[in-house]
Amino acid sequence: MATATAIELELETAHGAGHDGHDDHGHADHPPTSTGLNSRKMLMWLFLASDCMFFGTLISTYISTRNRSIELGTPPYPNEIFDIPYTSVSAFVLLMSSLTMVLALSAIQRGDNRGLRIWIAATALLGAIFVGGQFFEFTSFAHEGLTLSSNIFGSSFYVLTGFHGAHVTIGVAWLMSLLFVSLRGGLPPEHAADVEIAGLYWHFVDIVWIVIFTLVYLIPYADGPEGAVEAVPEAFLRVLTIGERFLTALPI
Amino acid sequence: MASIAQPRIHAPALPRPKAAPSGLWSWLTTVDHKRIAVLYGVTAFIFFLVGGLEALLIRAQLTRPENNIVDAQRYNELFTMHGTTMIFLVVMPLSVALFNLVVPLQLGARDVAFPRLNGFSYWTFLAGAAILNIPVLFALPEVFIRIAGVAWTNFFGSGLLTTVKTFFDFWPFPWFNGWPFAQYVPDQGWYGYAPLTERLFSGREIDFWALGLQVLGVASMAGAFNFIVTIINLRAPGMTMMRMPIFSWATLITSILIVMAFPAITIALVLLTFDRFGGTMFYRAFSLVDGTLVTAGGDPMLWQHLFWIFGHPEVYILILPAFGLVSEIIPVFSRKPLFGYAVMVYAIAAIAFLGFGVWVHHMFTTGIGPTPTAAFAAATMLIAIPTGVKILNWAATMWGGSLSFTTAMLFAVGLVSQFVIGGLSGVMHAVVPVDTQHNDSYFVVAHFHYVLFGGSIFALLGALYFYWPKVFGKLLDERLGKLHFWLTFLGFNLTFFPMHFLGLAGMPRRYSTYSFESGWWFWNVIATIGALFIAASVLVFLINVLRTAQSKQEVGPNPWDAGTLEWAIPSPPPVYNFRIIPLVTHRDQLWHDKYDRHQEAHGRPDGLADAIVELDQHPERAAVGVAELEAQAEEGSIHLPNPSYYPLLCGIGIFLLAFGLLINNPHFQLGFFGIPIVSGIGFVLLVTSIYGWSFEPAG
Repeated sequence: MATATAIELELETAHGAGHDGHDDHGHADHPPTSTGLNSRKMLMWLFLASDCMFFGTLISTYISTRNRSIELGTPPYPNEIFDIPYTSVSAFVLLMSSLTMVLALSAIQRGDNRGLRIWIAATALLGAIFVGGQFFEFTSFAHEGLTLSSNIFGSSFYVLTGFHGAHVTIGVAWLMSLLFVSLRGGLPPEHAADVEIAGLYWHFVDIVWIVIFTLVYLIPYADGPEGAVEAVPEAFLRVLTIGERFLTALPI
Repeated sequence: MASIAQPRIHAPALPRPKAAPSGLWSWLTTVDHKRIAVLYGVTAFIFFLVGGLEALLIRAQLTRPENNIVDAQRYNELFTMHGTTMIFLVVMPLSVALFNLVVPLQLGARDVAFPRLNGFSYWTFLAGAAILNIPVLFALPEVFIRIAGVAWTNFFGSGLLTTVKTFFDFWPFPWFNGWPFAQYVPDQGWYGYAPLTERLFSGREIDFWALGLQVLGVASMAGAFNFIVTIINLRAPGMTMMRMPIFSWATLITSILIVMAFPAITIALVLLTFDRFGGTMFYRAFSLVDGTLVTAGGDPMLWQHLFWIFGHPEVYILILPAFGLVSEIIPVFSRKPLFGYAVMVYAIAAIAFLGFGVWVHHMFTTGIGPTPTAAFAAATMLIAIPTGVKILNWAATMWGGSLSFTTAMLFAVGLVSQFVIGGLSGVMHAVVPVDTQHNDSYFVVAHFHYVLFGGSIFALLGALYFYWPKVFGKLLDERLGKLHFWLTFLGFNLTFFPMHFLGLAGMPRRYSTYSFESGWWFWNVIATIGALFIAASVLVFLINVLRTAQSKQEVGPNPWDAGTLEWAIPSPPPVYNFRIIPLVTHRDQLWHDKYDRHQEAHGRPDGLADAIVELDQHPERAAVGVAELEAQAEEGSIHLPNPSYYPLLCGIGIFLLAFGLLINNPHFQLGFFGIPIVSGIGFVLLVTSIYGWSFEPAG
């Protein structure tokens, strides 16, 4: 990997691009890009756009079947099985990893190699704790009878949160690789974009967890087969009755 | 949209070989966008022949009532694979071939933004195509043996068929139970509706289909990311977004569609795979427990929604590149700039945007309720507006132009006329009561062949004639080309126009046969005759290709006198494309340079006029709008990406990973996961290659 000379660096920062346009490490002798934006960073943003659609599809699938196992009377039910304090702690751990990720990026931009290694290791560790927590959560749910095939709630819950867990796992592997490269001396400050791109991915995975945690754990579910009907907002029922009264009043 | 108007000096890098390397290894490790274009094109054309063969078998079966050339099972397999092949393995990769070939050249770039990712797209595409088609490869010989047997019996009385059958009854090799995989040809239709794809109703063939599509999705998305970044970031100096050739715009918007639409099918297929192997019940409304049906809680409608949220944008993924190509071809042969360039760009964007809001028009008969039906019907009709704008602008481009009907132009004008027919029947389907009548009839088959064959394939064939000299340095023969066009045009209309009548007469699609009393025989015979014309046209094209390959002609950089940057460089282009990165001042730069630069320099004193006058005094530099500063660039110091074998290894890894799940191979235990050995090897190869790739200095 070639290191950029001081002049090239100057040129690059002048155009606001931390890195060249091609998918390789450390070649600063390419022409700058049309927009001045780093091509690899743009690639990551585009990937995240598609990842939004991946999670969007999974989340809409989950929402469309949210109360169905309760309506059908096929236990175990989500409101009985969730341990919200436990999951809140692991959500907190994951969110804190975003902070350490920011500190890692700041460290490499300052040329602080030691800080970079500490914060990357911390981020990976927090991510690993989250994945471990999820593994423990899945195991305990399975002991209580919730499996992929127990009911539609089990199906959509495990696939959605498991897909997110797989994202975190890949992120941890990526951070470990960066740590390894850094320990071998392969992450000088001009490669800050490498850390920044991994950070984009990491923050995205965190943000998605905020959405999943809210939709899956925090928003209350119907109380039971009867509760599912009660859960229909009263205002909506009132609108229905108004319409009914209107229709019966019509002279037809 | 930021742009850079200033030319830049490109710092010299390591010396590179000037001549293009040759040999098999150079093709396997290539990262050159022009070579990847050829790989894509050749592969897609081979699948065009396979898909065409499947279509011919369908037509042969339907030629007469109560026919039995193929049985119902094989018939299902044929229409499934015909649809899947033509969409995912022909129109999409042919479009991608042209993206690869044309876009970097049009932008004045030396390659795409991520050359190795580009190679990865191709090899992954090939892996997915192979997984989809391995069963077909083994099933087709069986189909032909059977047809030969039927033909023999018909002409010579019974004989050979019974002989063959008896022979197989006493087959002496017990280890050979027919061709491997031949019974795994997908048979559920190209949109794979649940619950047909659930394990209760299907076998291994669905896994070949689902995994094949999954892998193809990876390839498409990798390519789309690459082209978006290339178009946004690698434009030549001075090429603002609105100076960009219209085909690059079409590529950009198609790629955005791919990025946003493919995740839906990927997740839909993931959920399907979990349903089949994980015991989930996403698409399963009922489970069979101890012989009784139990409500499971899943919903087959979920599949339809997810599939068509992908499927409708997919339709525009297939047609927008065609629109872009036609918008390049028509101005060149009308000797006029494209009429209403900006509006054409907005129209493409509007079609793409609306394309995400109309998916339910594929599901009008599912009883989804009056409100959504009305909303989606209205949104569907809206799409006719930007599409109509495009048709009008093509017509206005030709209006008053000096038209020359070369083969490319004939195909382009063919698209305009045929797509109007398909578009009109499309608007008919937006009218819900009409759609309810047409649904699943041959009218729908006629409609989508008019937009996909009369639209996409016409444009792609025209583009082959248009860009052939750029790739190979030789013009395809125009006389044979015109024969090709008229045979295609005649055959296409003979085949698909009668299908409107058949549909209105009530002939359902996807039935393997029909009765004598139905009254559908006549138009089916006409359609089959048309299909033979299309087959003949493909033969004419192949002859044309062979004859052109043998000819010893050499064309200059710009045989059609076109206006975009790809025609400024020699045909075929050198590996580095542009010795000097051009400075772009106008939309049709070459036309500007050739026809109105002098005039402008004297008539319209803008900031660029001085530079242009200066260039006028150096005719040797006046080829393209040359940036003076960059004229010093030496060929030997042009930076090019190194070849790499990691994309190929990644492709092989993905293939093994998927293929290992589809065949019986020993498992090894990892925790409570049993992992098939072939998949394990594929996974290790994939991960190793990704790491090797990351640490490889790409040059």
